[in-house]
Amino acid sequence: MQNSRDPSRQIIRPELAVEPSPASRPRHASVPNPRDPSHLFVQPVIVVLTTASLVLTAYVIWLSLRDVSLLRAGQDTFVGLENYMRFFGDGRGLSAIWRTVLFTVLATGIEVVLGVGIVLFLDRHFALKRLVRTLLLVPIIMTPVVVGLTWRFIFDPSSGMANYLLSLLGLGPVDWLGNPSVAILSVLIADVWQWTPFVILLTMAALDSAPTDPLDAARVDGAREWQVTWHVLLPMLRRAVAVVALIRTIDSIKAFDLFYIMTRGGPALSTETLNYYGYIAAFTNFDISYALTIAMILTIFTNLALLAMYAVLSRGGAR
Amino acid sequence: MLTRRDLLATAATILLATAALPALAQDKPYEGVQLSVLMEGHPTTDAIQKMLPDFTELTGIDVALEVVPEQDITAKMLLEFSSGSGRYDIVQNNIIYIPGFVSAGYIVPLDAYLAATPEHFNRADFVTGYFDTNVVDGQIYGLPVYGESTFLMYRKDLFEEHGLAEPTTFEAIEEAAKTIHGATNGEVAGITMRGQQGIQGVYVWAGYLWGYGGSFLNDEGQSALATPEGIAALEDFTRVLTNYGPVGVANFGWEENRLLFQSGGAAMTLDATVNGAYNEDPANSEVAGKVGYVPVPMRSENPKGGSSSLAVHSLFVSADSANPEAAALFAAWATAAEQQVRSIESDPNSGVTSLSALDSEAFNSRYGAFKDAMIAAINQGNPQYLPTIDQANEVINNTGIAVSQVLAGTATAEEALTAADEANNAAIAR
Repeated sequence: MQNSRDPSRQIIRPELAVEPSPASRPRHASVPNPRDPSHLFVQPVIVVLTTASLVLTAYVIWLSLRDVSLLRAGQDTFVGLENYMRFFGDGRGLSAIWRTVLFTVLATGIEVVLGVGIVLFLDRHFALKRLVRTLLLVPIIMTPVVVGLTWRFIFDPSSGMANYLLSLLGLGPVDWLGNPSVAILSVLIADVWQWTPFVILLTMAALDSAPTDPLDAARVDGAREWQVTWHVLLPMLRRAVAVVALIRTIDSIKAFDLFYIMTRGGPALSTETLNYYGYIAAFTNFDISYALTIAMILTIFTNLALLAMYAVLSRGGAR
Repeated sequence: MLTRRDLLATAATILLATAALPALAQDKPYEGVQLSVLMEGHPTTDAIQKMLPDFTELTGIDVALEVVPEQDITAKMLLEFSSGSGRYDIVQNNIIYIPGFVSAGYIVPLDAYLAATPEHFNRADFVTGYFDTNVVDGQIYGLPVYGESTFLMYRKDLFEEHGLAEPTTFEAIEEAAKTIHGATNGEVAGITMRGQQGIQGVYVWAGYLWGYGGSFLNDEGQSALATPEGIAALEDFTRVLTNYGPVGVANFGWEENRLLFQSGGAAMTLDATVNGAYNEDPANSEVAGKVGYVPVPMRSENPKGGSSSLAVHSLFVSADSANPEAAALFAAWATAAEQQVRSIESDPNSGVTSLSALDSEAFNSRYGAFKDAMIAAINQGNPQYLPTIDQANEVINNTGIAVSQVLAGTATAEEALTAADEANNAAIAR
């Protein structure tokens, strides 16, 4: 074999595949081998996908520079940057951005910390490990509409389970979805319930494929169990956790279904995220151009957030 | 061997058959036509869906019925209308959209088509208040499928127990709510109403707005909610709900509100007349036979409009329909008295729009308890109850935010309504 590395280990140790050693680099060079026809299968797909996304983005930008309304078909005119100017003077839109940031940071943060914590707790062999893993999948595969409705019933102020449990402790009743300072936290609880298992699954997979030798070495050297976890195990999981956090950030920024089912942006706008405001602009106010403006701003804003995250991650990776 | 007699018989049969064909075609001129219909999830729609095979048998028209929730239906039809796709031949919606649809050329007048179907269409049999909302410049644009108004429902047994009289003023409502809420320690809410942000809260609060002498728009067509009348209406509406309403009322839609009242959890509610049908259904209601029905109070001496709503949901024929005659025939059939009477029997439908259905035995035996109050409410019903301008949806959305903010205590009525006026006027000017 030309490459000294066992190919199966490349698969189970993704951190090695991402940063290949100089010896293996020529085999992964970006210049396609002229005698290898496989690029002919890939390139057309890339061209089609790139063209489609460029054309669609250009079309959205074009529409956001006009005043298209479903109530006035065919009477739209070019208005330039008016929709963008309108957005930056629109208090409702700006507070929706703030709410989106708040929700994204809290949801991603809680899910990742909780998920990794649970993984470390479950990192031992026990009889029902397979069953636990299967059960963890349940919230992820449930449709968000069902999740939203279920939590709405749980949070029902008079007959819901949440207030019943609180009443056993002599607390409450809490107006989970009707109080503007609590409502967004109620949606957050539902989101954490649904998506923490996703963090657990991916982190668990990374943990299972990580080598155990360094851990044993640390233990032999006399490290305590918490030191092994903190200084050896967690750094090994860093990349997997970073990818999970990235996926959850993107999903939280786009979150829509739980808000739609549980609160519809209310009460008093307290759960209206930017994505939901865009939906209102398009499907309640029929103001298509403004809705697309909001969508463009959301896209730019998401990309900036992701670039910032990439920067933080790659700086860590250079260490 | 073919004899001459056989030949003659065959020729005669063929001749007869070809002669009979045009007659058959005249019976069912639309045989084989396909119609695509978009309707709201509602008891009347369920009833019409059950009767569709009869329509196909009668006319030979094949109907593909699509049912979506009311709150999503406008966007769905507008997307098709604005692209001129002709995806739907017939659509159902609230009559508040008629002016916008007519001015955009999305729906067509039906007069000529309806004149051709006297066996189904009888204008005199419709409740006048419902039908007239479909007429623009003397032309009929829609046929009312169901209609409703609003009234105040109160628990006669509880009122008697606490020595309270029938509530006919807004002050009496608050007083009664306070008494019952206090006497039961909040176990029974004094009153429940929809508080959810958006159309839900606005639909009920508008009764207070008009009853206090306010209105959505002034004579110049500008949003004018932050008037002394509008502010007082919002302050009183939110005060009675906050002090004597159920926990969680700020997220109550029609369903939550109805269920709470039906289960005996509240002494009063102000809501749609269709709720009467649910209250009086002994299988699902714990308050059947115990509910009194009175009109929405009127406090102003010179109101700008009635305080009970007139909500009418009609069938319209799309301007892009390939078969407008067949589409109008379906609309006429679906709203004809015969089908409406049958719908009362198959579904909890108290929103019939046909006078003969309202007078039918089926209606009286089920909904006699609130029929008089309902008809009184319809007769006083305000067709401008919700604004009917093109930007109606946006105005309702902005107003809903104001109602929700005051109910949640994050703004005063004056601040919230002033902000709503600004947002509404920006939308109207756009």
